[in-house]
Amino acid sequence: MRKVFIPETQAELFDIIACNPKSRMFAGGTDLLVKLRSGQFDSDDLVSLERIDELKGVEDYGDEVFIGACTTHSALIADPVIQMHFPVLVKALRVLGSPQIRNMGTIGGNIVTASPAGDTLPPLYLLEADLELKTKDSSRLVGIKDFIKGPGRNDLAPGEILARVRLRKCPAYNLQHYEKVGQRNSLAISIVSLAAVLNVSDKGIITEVRFSWGSAGPTVITCKEAEAVLAGRPVSNESLEKAARLARKAVKPIADVRASAEYRRQVSGNLILRIQGLLNGSGDSIQFAD
Amino acid sequence: MLNIGMSIPRLDARKKVSGLEKYAADFYGLDFVWAGVKRAGIPHARIRGIEIESAKKIPGVINVLTCRDVKGSNRQGVVRKDEPVLADDRVRHCGDAVALVIAEDKMALSRALEQIIPDYDPIPGVFDPEEALKTEAPLVHEDNPEKNLLMKGFLSTGCAENAFNECDAVVEACFEVPFQEHAYLETEAGWALLNKDDRLEIVVSTQTPFRDRAEVSEAIGIEEEKIRIIAPYCGGAFGGKDGVTVQSLLALAALCCPERPVKMWWGREESFISSAKRHMARLYYRLGAKSDGKFHALEARIYYDTGPYDHLGGVVMALGLEHAGGAYRIPNTDLKAWSVYTNNPVGGPFRGFGVVQVTAAMEQMVDMLAVELAIDPVELRLRNALGKGDKNPIGVTMSGSTGIEECLATLKGNPLWEDREKWKSKAGSFKRRGAGMTSVMQGMGYGPVVPDVANAKIELTEGGKFRVFCGVVDMGQGNATTYAQIACEVLGQDIRDMELVLPDTSKTLPSGSASASRTTYTFGNALIGAAEILKERILKCANRVFMNGEGSDIALIPGGVRNIPSGQEISLSEIAGLLGNSERLAVSRFQAPVSTETPAEDPILRVYGVPHVIFSFGAHAAFIEVDELTGRIEVVKYITVTDCGRIINPQLFEQQMQGGVAQGIGYALMEDFVTERGFVNTPDLATYIIPTAMDMPDMDSITVDAYEPTGPFGLKGAGEVACNGPLPAIANALADACGIRVLRSPLTPERVLAEMNKEK
Repeated sequence: MRKVFIPETQAELFDIIACNPKSRMFAGGTDLLVKLRSGQFDSDDLVSLERIDELKGVEDYGDEVFIGACTTHSALIADPVIQMHFPVLVKALRVLGSPQIRNMGTIGGNIVTASPAGDTLPPLYLLEADLELKTKDSSRLVGIKDFIKGPGRNDLAPGEILARVRLRKCPAYNLQHYEKVGQRNSLAISIVSLAAVLNVSDKGIITEVRFSWGSAGPTVITCKEAEAVLAGRPVSNESLEKAARLARKAVKPIADVRASAEYRRQVSGNLILRIQGLLNGSGDSIQFAD
Repeated sequence: MLNIGMSIPRLDARKKVSGLEKYAADFYGLDFVWAGVKRAGIPHARIRGIEIESAKKIPGVINVLTCRDVKGSNRQGVVRKDEPVLADDRVRHCGDAVALVIAEDKMALSRALEQIIPDYDPIPGVFDPEEALKTEAPLVHEDNPEKNLLMKGFLSTGCAENAFNECDAVVEACFEVPFQEHAYLETEAGWALLNKDDRLEIVVSTQTPFRDRAEVSEAIGIEEEKIRIIAPYCGGAFGGKDGVTVQSLLALAALCCPERPVKMWWGREESFISSAKRHMARLYYRLGAKSDGKFHALEARIYYDTGPYDHLGGVVMALGLEHAGGAYRIPNTDLKAWSVYTNNPVGGPFRGFGVVQVTAAMEQMVDMLAVELAIDPVELRLRNALGKGDKNPIGVTMSGSTGIEECLATLKGNPLWEDREKWKSKAGSFKRRGAGMTSVMQGMGYGPVVPDVANAKIELTEGGKFRVFCGVVDMGQGNATTYAQIACEVLGQDIRDMELVLPDTSKTLPSGSASASRTTYTFGNALIGAAEILKERILKCANRVFMNGEGSDIALIPGGVRNIPSGQEISLSEIAGLLGNSERLAVSRFQAPVSTETPAEDPILRVYGVPHVIFSFGAHAAFIEVDELTGRIEVVKYITVTDCGRIINPQLFEQQMQGGVAQGIGYALMEDFVTERGFVNTPDLATYIIPTAMDMPDMDSITVDAYEPTGPFGLKGAGEVACNGPLPAIANALADACGIRVLRSPLTPERVLAEMNKEK
């Protein structure tokens, strides 16, 4: 019989981990329970992190914001600080899973799962999130790029948990964008996704730009070259096309039942082309009334 | 008080929403045991042996059975009985059942299923219907004299070969449509009990309780009279429960543990691997017309992949063949279809029943021809639309109500359709908009040979209410509510005074399957007959009480009978007391009208259901937006205009239209049951993608003023016709938007983008 521990404090949690070193932690369970059902791992004991209040919520420290790892996606979408400062993250969260999954799943869970398709990861890469990892008596801060090691692999040491996500407030971008290409409009695993933030000067010159792609490689893909051809230049189809070509070179997609590698590669670039229209604020609603 | 034409909420709604309604999957019982199946997991192999002894020794395992334990024929099937209950010498697809385990609990069951190791000698398989017809193809059934051919059908009128030379425009294409999974909410489930007196009771999620009883009897070797099948509301079926799923397996299991309830409930993955799918098909079409747009010649070659078993695959092919030319006058046709055995998943009945595939091909041909001839697609269809008295593409006279022209004309005048160019012109950057349309039609009932019969029974209860004994399953469409509504209309009662008895071979009368868009048509007609008989008895009895003469002015009112001139009333419970027990019950039989024409030289096609006499019709329009960057299609708006005769319950009708369109949109855009040399690549709902509410457009369900004289209150079947439309309508909208045809569906973003790349 598998045991499930439901600690309510971090202290309690670390005691449980110490006594049950082989147990598996989960925070929401929207990935873990699926794997459990399909027999992808045997009956280790489980530790739920969901009831530990210290691991929940958003704290605003002025320049920095800390997100408790067990904050649900729904809670983050509704949070005024996150809405105000990190729209790109909110946009990604809105298309993550379904209402049920967003109510159960947590940002920490999404990070630790380290899926190439994890919807929070491309925005967190752009925002250069740092992760606060804790054991009973230690704490360290690791950048998200260094934390994610590969598909399903992360930098957590045995007995260590992801406690908080640190985000630095960034200058107000003109555009914070997340587009996910899935097989349907909800409950979809991303085939490819693009997160983008841009600053465009009054004269129409791109002053700052960052891109990251999900489901386009073993981990989130970034592409300095694509950003470089745009920075300092006016927004134009030609420059976006150039960036798109570089992006297609940078991605390392796989083929699976959802899409071919070639499709992922092409669309990784194509999604950049959307940006001009978005900056012009065109074409969002397609209801029949318009 | 009106009944017919009123949107009476379905009687099962409250109990279903609150969780009180008991589905087959909800039956347990004291001291029940679990039964489960070992699946082949390999597409084609000889079985050298199956090691079951170690599984038997697992604590909690009651027994493990193989084909050797089956006393009957061990064969299932409706037409050709070629599917073993438990595999004997070979397995023919990954989902074949090879052994049956009965265990005290689920844990022991799953351990035993893991422990059973069949010894296979793999043999080459065949995975494409055209490949399977080649002489050197591996044989799926070595004893079939026609090798891998299950059934073929040829129909023709005029002389197509010469007629193509007389055409001013000819279009030609080959389409391929995938396997589609039913994906009902309630996976296959049932419960069985062998009683003390050796009677076998089976509660099962099925569309066909009476036919199941006969099938189980023969396959397992139990007298039919000893089997009782009870069919609660299904949690969805769509054709996937037209035929045996768990029934025979449950019967086998129940026989080895008398007086203990046995439960079987397939998981989603088991359901996916073993259940029947909509047939994959490849369709070669050529259509020609004169310059005035009159269709002149049609040639079709259609291959249906029926997988390893018949499972109505011949009948599905025949219905597809009959509908291959659509709702048009075409004087010269040459139509051929084949239903072919392969080692792919089992092909079987699925809403539309072979018609979905041919409609996708034919209606795209019509639009391609419209482009060639530079004629508006609705106009082109109107010029060729069948009318009553016309001969259809297989040369059969349309003798039932034929409202396709009205449907097309209504769509033509629809403001959204009329203004489509304006809407299309407003597409944003990297977006293209298109509007596409299609005609749809669906034949009703079993065709000319197999009697399409229903037997209705209705009872005036001692309490003065009415009990309708539903002979046909309600698998979610709401037909049980419609039955109550029909009885209310005849008897002048309130819907609250109606009680429904769901199909049960011991209580209700044989009335055929819940399929073929026949459910309300055939049973409704029988029920009107039964209710009329009962009404007459009640009025006669009341007349005696009122001491009136024959022909007096008396009327049924809610709960009673009133003598109109005197105002005197008698309650129905009083009448019930005055009638004998047998008088309180009325039964009536209805048999659907059939065609006397024989369109084919091959008379066997009549046995397989060709031709039909009553059809429902429709004209659909899809408004889509295509994203040039991803190839993604968004269906923004969908309109159905339908001739299903008179509508008894508009709300239930609209649900059928919306459900059919939703399933059709899934089929058009994303649903694709992918196999690779017989192995399933989409084994679950994470990989096999069905649409969510977020993928559904706003839908308008419009009806034309129609009446089918032979239907109950003028009704025709509405269950299937809608699902034929979305694929061709969306494909035509895609062609309208981007000038491309994706001939292999579903129209996934990847396929659309690849086709757009070619255009550049």
